[in-house]
Amino acid sequence: MLKLQISQTAPMPLQIQLECLPGELHALVGPSGSGKTSTLRVIAGLMQADEGLIQCADIDWFSADHAKVNVNLPTADRSCGFLFQQYALFPHLNALENIAIPLRKHYPDSIERLQLAQKWLDKLGISELSQRMPQELSGGQQQRVALARALARQPKVLLLDEPFSAIDIPTRQDLYKTLASIRKELNIPILLVTHDLKEASLLADRITVIDQGISLQTASPRVLFQKPRNSRVAQLVGINNIFRGVFSAGALSLDGSPHVFQVVDKGKIPAGQKVAWVIPQSGISVHSQIMPKTLAATVIQLSSIGQIASIQFLIKGSDVVVNWEASSAEIKRLAIQLGSEAHIEFDAQQIHIMPLRPINDPRRLQESGSAIGL
Amino acid sequence: MDFDSIFLSLKLALWTIALMIPLGVWCAYRLVNAGSFKVWLEAGLALPLVLPPTVLGYYFLLGFSGKTFFGVPLVFSFTGILIASLIVNLPFAIQPIQRAFEAIDPQIREAAKVCGLSPWQAFRFIELPLIWRGILSASALTFAHTLGEFGVVLMVGGAIPGETKTASIAIYDRVQSLDSTGAGKLSLLLLGISLIAIALSYGVFSPRNGQKRSGER
Repeated sequence: MLKLQISQTAPMPLQIQLECLPGELHALVGPSGSGKTSTLRVIAGLMQADEGLIQCADIDWFSADHAKVNVNLPTADRSCGFLFQQYALFPHLNALENIAIPLRKHYPDSIERLQLAQKWLDKLGISELSQRMPQELSGGQQQRVALARALARQPKVLLLDEPFSAIDIPTRQDLYKTLASIRKELNIPILLVTHDLKEASLLADRITVIDQGISLQTASPRVLFQKPRNSRVAQLVGINNIFRGVFSAGALSLDGSPHVFQVVDKGKIPAGQKVAWVIPQSGISVHSQIMPKTLAATVIQLSSIGQIASIQFLIKGSDVVVNWEASSAEIKRLAIQLGSEAHIEFDAQQIHIMPLRPINDPRRLQESGSAIGL
Repeated sequence: MDFDSIFLSLKLALWTIALMIPLGVWCAYRLVNAGSFKVWLEAGLALPLVLPPTVLGYYFLLGFSGKTFFGVPLVFSFTGILIASLIVNLPFAIQPIQRAFEAIDPQIREAAKVCGLSPWQAFRFIELPLIWRGILSASALTFAHTLGEFGVVLMVGGAIPGETKTASIAIYDRVQSLDSTGAGKLSLLLLGISLIAIALSYGVFSPRNGQKRSGER
């Protein structure tokens, strides 16, 4: 298991806590500059945190408190495979020689090294590329060679830094399959840095959302999308219907409108508590005619991208805007056009409520753009 | 033709390369990783480029006077001009190698670390094969510059035949004794050798020669 609990203030603030189990694929997601790659670099020892603990397979790789650094293994002694975003293949070595380099530590015999390297090439389905130089390989081929090189030293943890970002979609699909099959075989913790939420939810068992160097929430993709811990997480995972209101014994109000929704009261939130609440796309239905529990709304924005249209409704008698996505066929069926009227229904069962509490840390106020947050 | 002086120049140039290149690689490696003193170190090492050779030669003469190196006097000896030549050639050897080090993508160095290579292994198997052009260029420049060095060698070594009288000093001697034919022949020979050295250096840097250099077997 990989256990990470680090904090640092410079060159960028980081406060990350996560655990990754053997065989687990754990994605780190967040906007650019949020500290995802820095987290991987700290694990690999390419950067040093101020304090914290990095433990892999029960061995301390790094341990420091504010007083002193107790353990800090050099990068070469941390058994990790690191897949760089730009591959970082050694340009003077062919594919086979690149893969043989990490084997140098445990296999002094060069013939044995090259034989083992060839096995990795075979495993990744690129045997025929063994004598090619990196500059003679396509992006996808370079990535496979880089993956083989990262795996060749049989690491205790695999760190993947945006490995699919520079690769075309068909090649990416192939690499997803390769990663899935390798993952089953290896049974080691795998950390994947990506800014692509779809990719993260497709591949990962769990996702940690990072923003401004702070790990905000770790959860399975399903939980993360349905129950984000706070409005910032909701924003980062692409939930674009985030509302404010007051919760009181099962009655949930919608700020800026007179509407109140009846939701299940689990007794966890005190009466009169200010809350933020979200609802996923699947919890929103749009009708062309008035129905029980529907809210009348006007279409204020309509933009089509291919077969998908993005619509913004303004709820009548309020300043609340609801975002909705639908297929072109659906838009046609509902006769939706700019300025037209529609009736929106919220499935109260899919509403997720997040109590709002004041935050004392001034940096958090800035990051959420609000004086309140979870 | 004064072959003695030609051979002496070649001997001096080859010895300078042999000693200068390892020193240049070490200095360049340290410079790339130097901290806040980097600018001052670079400025100090580049001084021989801007100081007049006679000024350098004068300081060497002052510094070497009365000193010996393993029992060999430093003034008016081959050892003395070799040491002076090493110092004069510092910028010619270090700068191309330093540029070659700096051209290595930092991620390549990090990849070497995460591949489990020790700093020495990373240098031997990754960085050294990647800076070979810088080393060749440094060798060619050092060679050509040593062949043509006049002021420093004359100040430190004088013109002792077979010991310190290099080709460029021999040319000066010929001109002084009004032997323009001899001076012309020697000059032409030096010109040819220098041209070949520089052309080889440029050829190495041609994009057509940017193909494979193997290091791992």
